[in-house]
Amino acid sequence: MTSPPSSVLFDKGVIRRVYERRVRLALGESPTLLQVEAANAYARLSAITTSLYITEQTANILLRRTPSFAAPLLIDLQPLRKGRYLRRWARRLRDFAFSPEDAIVLAYGSFGVNLTVPGVGTEAVVTADLKMAARYQTNFGAIELRFKIMINDLGSGYSNLSLPQMLTTSDVLTKF
Amino acid sequence: MEKLVVDKDGKITIPPDVLAKRGLRPGDELELVEAAEGLLVYQSGVDDKTADWWNNLSEEDRRQAQAEARRYEFSSEKQRDAIWNEAAESLEVEAEGDEIDLPAK
Repeated sequence: MTSPPSSVLFDKGVIRRVYERRVRLALGESPTLLQVEAANAYARLSAITTSLYITEQTANILLRRTPSFAAPLLIDLQPLRKGRYLRRWARRLRDFAFSPEDAIVLAYGSFGVNLTVPGVGTEAVVTADLKMAARYQTNFGAIELRFKIMINDLGSGYSNLSLPQMLTTSDVLTKF
Repeated sequence: MEKLVVDKDGKITIPPDVLAKRGLRPGDELELVEAAEGLLVYQSGVDDKTADWWNNLSEEDRRQAQAEARRYEFSSEKQRDAIWNEAAESLEVEAEGDEIDLPAK
């Protein structure tokens, strides 16, 4: 067991599966294994990590859903705002063959701004997307180098930013 | 794929890493399904967070949740994807106007 991250950003796919796990429960139907894994990872991190985040897009999607499903999630999860240069970093990440959506989520992990408790980025991004996680791990050295070059160019206000750790929902359940 | 061995009493032991990964604890129930593929062990328990959500809903909220669940579950995969792909965020330079300055240290 390793120490759990102090702050995590859930990607949209994880929140979708948590939502769908609840849909199945409301209908009295069996969940899929992926829904169970996401819901268990969400429950585990909720118990051990105080700062749980989502992107603005995920928050906007939840805000349009029925309150009985969405409201409790929106209490647990704070939306991060897009900090200056988030998109610029996301465009750099596209060079590593991440989809636009994956690049944005990863960029939130470094440039997402929490306005409630002032802070930038998260210690980890949690995903159910194994391909994205594998691509991040495989290219981490090159991504880190690119990141350092970019934040050095941005000046001192950005020197403390860092790359998030990538955790799959399965990692969460195995490691913490 | 895990290989399980049945002992003389018909019991099997689930490896500790699988217990941890699936969040299984003593007393949790599993369903054994005799399927065409063979025997399937299915996790049927509900995690604490999901159970708390359901248990804390009022009767009215449960009715609303069930109605929404029926609408959601009976929609097509394409319709569900559309829900979760609403308001996709742009990577373009032109969209950068909503980015905010980092908080002062």
